[in-house]
Amino acid sequence: MKYFGFFIALAITVALAIAVSMPLGPVPPLAPLLDPNHGFWQNSYSEDELAKDELELSNLTSPVTVVYDENLIPHIFAENEEDLYRAQGYVTAKHRLWQMEFQTMAASGRISEIVGPIAIELDRMTRRKGLGYGAELGLKYLQENDPEILKLAEAYADGVNQYIDQLSPGQVPVEYKILNYRPEKWTAYKSILLLKYMSDMLVGDRDLEYSNLRKILGQEMLDKLYPDFPVDNDPVIESEHVWDFTPLSVIKPDSIPFPNDLLAIDPLPQPEEGTGSNNWAVSGSKTKSGNPILANDPHLSLNLPSLWYSMQLSTPNHSVKGATLPGALGVISGFNEDIAWGVTNATKDARDWYKITFQDKQRKTYKYGNEWRPTSFRIEEIKVKGENPYLDTVVYTHYGPVVYDRTFKSERQDVNFALKWTVHEGSNEQRTFIMMNKSKNHEDYNKALDNYSAPAQNFVFASKSGDIAMRIQGKFPLKWKEQGKFFMDGADPRFEWQGYIPNEQNAATLNPERGFVSSANQHPVDPSYPYYVFDNSYEHYRNRRLNNRLRELSDITTDDMKLLQFDDYYLHAAEALPVMIGLLGTSFDSDPEAKKYIDELKSWDFFADPNQKAPTLFYIWWDKTYDQIWKKWGEFGVPVVRPNNYQTVRLLELTPQDPVFDIDKTDVVETASDHINIGFQAMVKSMKEWEEKEGDYSWANYKRTSVQHLVPQFAPFSVTNIYTGGGRGILNATSERHGASWRMVVEMGDEITAFGVYPGGQSGNPGSKFYSNFIPIWANGEYLNFNLRSKEDSEGVLFQTILK
Amino acid sequence: MRFILFILVVIGVVVFLNPFFPFWVIMIVIALLSALLGLSGIQGFLAGGLGYGLAWLGQALFISATTGSDLPNRMAELMGIGSGMTIAGLTAIVGFFLGSFSGLTGSLLRNLFRKKPDNLYRG
Repeated sequence: MKYFGFFIALAITVALAIAVSMPLGPVPPLAPLLDPNHGFWQNSYSEDELAKDELELSNLTSPVTVVYDENLIPHIFAENEEDLYRAQGYVTAKHRLWQMEFQTMAASGRISEIVGPIAIELDRMTRRKGLGYGAELGLKYLQENDPEILKLAEAYADGVNQYIDQLSPGQVPVEYKILNYRPEKWTAYKSILLLKYMSDMLVGDRDLEYSNLRKILGQEMLDKLYPDFPVDNDPVIESEHVWDFTPLSVIKPDSIPFPNDLLAIDPLPQPEEGTGSNNWAVSGSKTKSGNPILANDPHLSLNLPSLWYSMQLSTPNHSVKGATLPGALGVISGFNEDIAWGVTNATKDARDWYKITFQDKQRKTYKYGNEWRPTSFRIEEIKVKGENPYLDTVVYTHYGPVVYDRTFKSERQDVNFALKWTVHEGSNEQRTFIMMNKSKNHEDYNKALDNYSAPAQNFVFASKSGDIAMRIQGKFPLKWKEQGKFFMDGADPRFEWQGYIPNEQNAATLNPERGFVSSANQHPVDPSYPYYVFDNSYEHYRNRRLNNRLRELSDITTDDMKLLQFDDYYLHAAEALPVMIGLLGTSFDSDPEAKKYIDELKSWDFFADPNQKAPTLFYIWWDKTYDQIWKKWGEFGVPVVRPNNYQTVRLLELTPQDPVFDIDKTDVVETASDHINIGFQAMVKSMKEWEEKEGDYSWANYKRTSVQHLVPQFAPFSVTNIYTGGGRGILNATSERHGASWRMVVEMGDEITAFGVYPGGQSGNPGSKFYSNFIPIWANGEYLNFNLRSKEDSEGVLFQTILK
Repeated sequence: MRFILFILVVIGVVVFLNPFFPFWVIMIVIALLSALLGLSGIQGFLAGGLGYGLAWLGQALFISATTGSDLPNRMAELMGIGSGMTIAGLTAIVGFFLGSFSGLTGSLLRNLFRKKPDNLYRG
């Protein structure tokens, strides 16, 4: 009997121990998660509570000092670059390990390993775009051409890995505990992958949509509704710039037959609208102090842990500070003792699609001119949590991968297209940033940029010596007019890219007459630039507001520049609203509710400040009107893009009777005014619903800006309903989920004065007080002191650690 | 008395050993100690459970109080179980069951080796 009792008790105990160690569906193992000594409770400690005076980091040539300021911004002082990047890897991993690994898992199509079969399609898509393939070529490029950078990238990886090896179970980031997996080794490859991932976030193409539009609308209508250059073009490189080079010749072949089928397939996922950025620099002639001032605010999706991580990196030869990308070496947007630089996205249709004609079902060869060229097969092994790995075969042509084929989304149509993208070519972006970090003048900046391929960026520059500059840098294919705007025939060699624009002929300017340089994702150049420039995503409002303000301002101070970054002027509304009110007429004057809205709109000063109500009214009215005008575009039944806001406003204003406004199905001839009225009615209806349900419709309350955790299901780790103004197409581009992901203002005086902030916090740990502590500061348009620090500086030190 | 003593011993084991060992090692230690101290089944069960449960609860509350972190509340929201206090309670309950069955197993183990009592008055 007593044996029986014992074994029963033992069995229950063992079963219990096993049960709490096993995941139950999506629920992670309970005991390791709840154990206060190892589980999530341990992640309640903030970094300063766990501070150590000394930590072990092997392979250093001399000890490295890390000084944390009161915002947990590390200032790393090393004796040489190899030590510096080893320490950067170590310190970054200490605060952002989960995020840096998760982002590279996403970039390499490995999310299924963490979350199971639900992510297989996503992973296949990522891999079929060839991001991992591109990163492999990037690594190979370093191995063959740049052992110096490779060595530094390996030092960085070693720093990350030493941190992982030292990681106590309690200090494992809480996301690993919840998702029940553990960090793996970091490699130089992953750093490269991360930079490729940035390309994926920032680069899109609309070849499919434009191919469809060309077929449906015809070339003439297409050019009218989607002109390559807007009338009010205020490009990145000032219009009066004189191009002082002899361009390479690009000859458009006669009678090129574009593949002409109507393509009922879904486009590749595109970068989120609202990802864009501002940067500018004003010369000493326009500032109060006589020193150049530089400003940069990249707009990206607002996430926690924040995309950016602030750092100062110092050796005896240089000191650089600014925003780093966890996983990449050096500072990406920042300044040193001599220069400052910043980035905005400069996409220029870097992705093109070629129709592939396979010889047969084997897909081993495809037609190219008069020959059959061999393909290669790349087998992607996707590991899946709780299941067998998924094997995916991707066919590669000399253009690039065939993204969609009979095994992937074949239900669309039996067409095969190969994706050609600059990301699939070996490149060395990492060298650009490492060189930029040490640059002393405009010449160094140019040398650093010569190594940069993708994603193309507008690199703004200012130096202590008084120069300001802008260079649009990327590896830009040489194209004849309209090449790559539509799908191309991969069997016809005449469709090949014609080479690349030489670096020295990329659009750039140094110390322009007007005393400032700026970019806000608008058209890069004036039509006088000798090469073909096209992209669907150019922006039409921020640039004009920015340049108008910069032209007007004089005696500029850093405070003026901060205000400009936080500027809520809604130029689109300022241009559209008077037209809309004019076209609305008097039909709603008798309705008191509608009259209230009209009065609010009429008395509006066009600033989208958080407490204003008119921005909400305008936003909805415009949205409904725009949808109404272009409704028939949705009825084409194939993916297309609609004419942009700017062109739509111009049509409303200049040609309200244009046949484009007519709705074919009705007997009467509709004009712009009809659409405006229908839009207004829809706005009144949805405002009534909003007021009944939510009450207050002030802009911030309607817009509801949120900064979301990278795993959207982890809602409690997100920050929602942030009270802040701005919006899409506004300099302060803070919309619901996008906005300034980093704001920096630097004055290049004898003593450099720098300010910065981002919507997050230095810690990646949701339990830390440094996780989201910058958000209120950011939302108010305030900044943190970002001045360079010396090792001895004792003011505002949170704690200090020596690595050795 | 041994009952109270055992609770205190278990708390000590959790506080001093658990930071270095996973929970299942602590379970084995509790079982062995329970066997060593020779508690009855019900005593071993309750004392082991209370010791482990209270220790975990105490540790959780201590971390929560000293750090002031909002993480317990966020975790509770994520798991859909109320507030940080609920999750502290859950931690205590899991600790209780781990400790109690370990304690019970230990005391029943000792029973196996206990010789027939020889001082029993058999009349």
